[in-house]
Amino acid sequence: MKLTFKIYLLIAILILSLISIFGIPPSFSQKGVLISSVEQDSLAFEQGFKQGQVLTSIDGKKISSPDEFYSEIQSKFISDKKIKVIFETKDSEIIYYNNASPKLTILEIPNTQIKMGLDLAGGSRALIKAEGQELGSDQMADLISITSNRFNVYGISDVNIRAVSDLSGSQFMLVEIAGATPKDLKTLISEQGKFEAKIGNQTVFTGGENQGITSVGRSGQQAAIESCQQSEQGYFCNFRFTIYLSEQTAQLHADITNNLTIDPNNPEYLSEKLDLYLDDNLVDSLFIGKSLKGSVATQISISGSGSGETNDEAYESAKDEMNQLQTVLITGSLPYKLEIVKLDTISPLLGHDFIRSILFASIASLLAVSLIIFIRYRNIKSSLALILTSFSEIIIILGIASLIEWNLDLPSIAGIIATIGTGIDQQIIVLDEAKQNRNLSIAQRMKRAFTIILGAYFTALVALLPLLWAGAGLLKGFAITTIIGITVGVLITRPAFVDMIKRIEK
Amino acid sequence: MQKKNFHDKYYKLLLLIPAAILLFSVIYLFAFNAQNGSFIYKDISLTGGTSVTIYGQIDSQELISALQNELEDISTKEISDLITGEQKALIIETKSETQDVKNSLENYLGYELEEGVNSNFEFTGSSLSESFYKQLLIAILFAFIFMALVVFLIFRTVVPSAAVILAALTDIIMTLAVVDILGIKMSSAGIVAFLMLIGYSVDTDILLTTRMLKRTSGTLNERIFGAFKTGITMTGTSLLAIIFAFIIVSSFSGVLAQIFTVLIIGLSFDILNTWITNVSILKWYASKK
Repeated sequence: MKLTFKIYLLIAILILSLISIFGIPPSFSQKGVLISSVEQDSLAFEQGFKQGQVLTSIDGKKISSPDEFYSEIQSKFISDKKIKVIFETKDSEIIYYNNASPKLTILEIPNTQIKMGLDLAGGSRALIKAEGQELGSDQMADLISITSNRFNVYGISDVNIRAVSDLSGSQFMLVEIAGATPKDLKTLISEQGKFEAKIGNQTVFTGGENQGITSVGRSGQQAAIESCQQSEQGYFCNFRFTIYLSEQTAQLHADITNNLTIDPNNPEYLSEKLDLYLDDNLVDSLFIGKSLKGSVATQISISGSGSGETNDEAYESAKDEMNQLQTVLITGSLPYKLEIVKLDTISPLLGHDFIRSILFASIASLLAVSLIIFIRYRNIKSSLALILTSFSEIIIILGIASLIEWNLDLPSIAGIIATIGTGIDQQIIVLDEAKQNRNLSIAQRMKRAFTIILGAYFTALVALLPLLWAGAGLLKGFAITTIIGITVGVLITRPAFVDMIKRIEK
Repeated sequence: MQKKNFHDKYYKLLLLIPAAILLFSVIYLFAFNAQNGSFIYKDISLTGGTSVTIYGQIDSQELISALQNELEDISTKEISDLITGEQKALIIETKSETQDVKNSLENYLGYELEEGVNSNFEFTGSSLSESFYKQLLIAILFAFIFMALVVFLIFRTVVPSAAVILAALTDIIMTLAVVDILGIKMSSAGIVAFLMLIGYSVDTDILLTTRMLKRTSGTLNERIFGAFKTGITMTGTSLLAIIFAFIIVSSFSGVLAQIFTVLIIGLSFDILNTWITNVSILKWYASKK
């Protein structure tokens, strides 16, 4: 059978989709196990274990499954004695010396690049909103920065925080964390955190209402990147912004700095620094200019710099640094309370079984459909063409989903099912139109089929659009996969199927 | 030939069947709404509350009787293995707050529930779920209006377009009534199934209307019968596929099982509404022209 351009196009896109799903080299050919999470601040974390690493061997013994990993670990750490174990990952070697096993969660290397949503892969998700008020986009940006800072301080890296809004214009902060649920998740997301600035061990000011800082300059004269210079290492830019202190705080600041001496090694500054703490963790230290010694200043200017290889990079880095500092300084002083409107913590335990049952369901459904199609048309070629086309449609949707890193969650899977259903329906229209009105040319008959298909496509497309915005985007997955699916159908798979049928009918 | 003659004679009378079911459904839904304050029973994703999945084998009856006084509106669902049928987890749904639910369950079970480890906790605040519900209704309303506009654009005549839209609306109303009669508590995903239903339902109606009105070959009845053969294959394959998927998934995912239930009911009504309601209206319209 001579293949047409449209069929070649389908085959090409199919191959690209397979590459997108499995990667090059295919992920199922990799050996080892995947570290899916490392307990924060544990020894394992300090010694270099990172989430996402592929572990290949323990003390030279090859590891190919989580079970092997756990039994190997168990056989090593039997007594309380400290022992040395060498872990080999794909690109490094970690020498672990302790009396307890490293706190790791181990999974099989995923066979595909398809990203699973939280409801399948496990993780936590929270939707946060300001109690009793709607946040503007600036306020939302601050809230997100503050929350991100705190997650960083706690060493939780695999977090996705973003603003979402719904049809009625309500603003939410959506926090998604893959893998294990952090212990203090609820506090981390629903409270702003504690900010303190100390000199030595004396607290100068803290975050929160009327707690010292009356405002933090964010724009115009009050916050700016001042100058950029070229140095031997590259470029650097200086930033400066103003913060305003209450009189009481200014007095306290004066009293404390009055007791400081001038740093002999750095005569422009005082001997102690201003240390900024977020939830009792030191996040930054600022030099205090000597002119501030003992002065009651309600207006303090804070400066720093960012560097980079180019002028632009240095500028951006200075801007980031400044932003970072500003958000730390406003932590705890946001004028609203937070409310958790949705909080889901989902264990990865059932995910595997679940995917298996969905695969089973799809195969059973496809078989059932094949049977009806074969009974109805009694033509193995066109029945086969129909099933293969539908199957390739699933692969293309999955390929696009992994390409755009769309997290496949339950609504997305429902969307794929919907697409395959309408896809098969449309192919039945093609088959039937091909069989009828033999007085018309096959091309004309196929054109007729396409008129109906386009009608169905556009009605389905417009019906899905509202769902992209409704419900804070939690059901967006359904709309996205269905829109991808039916569009691929109309543009690629259906035309190819039509060409296949033309060939078969000729 | 006899069958067609019968159809030519009685197609207007046939319309009484869907009309009666529709009337019953509408009355039922309004009575339901008057009694319950909404057109559906809502599950906790739409009323607010906590859903807990605990891994392991837990007897649901015992749990309910032990905790029904502590936890508001408690209900359970077992998750079991597809092949062995062995229980893998128990889902508990209640309107109570997460922390209360956790405390009560830990007391009852005698061990700690670690979120995201040996259990899943899903909490939805009541303010969110209320807006969620409203927005999904708005989404469906807009979806319906957009669909109607496109249908009008395709056919550009009032009666046939209205017939397609009416058939889709009737599918939704009848399905909704059955869902309520069965006492199904709808989740947000279940509502999305109604969106899917709009898509599936309109497909066959567009096919029918195009074949009946835009084609000239054969008699009207031949064209109807041709469309019927195609359409019933379409709906039949969809139905069968969904029934198979439903059987497999129902032991596992309440969400997907609910979507499939809505589709099975909806597609069954779609057979009635496409091949009796829509056909009869179109035939009536064609005979008047």
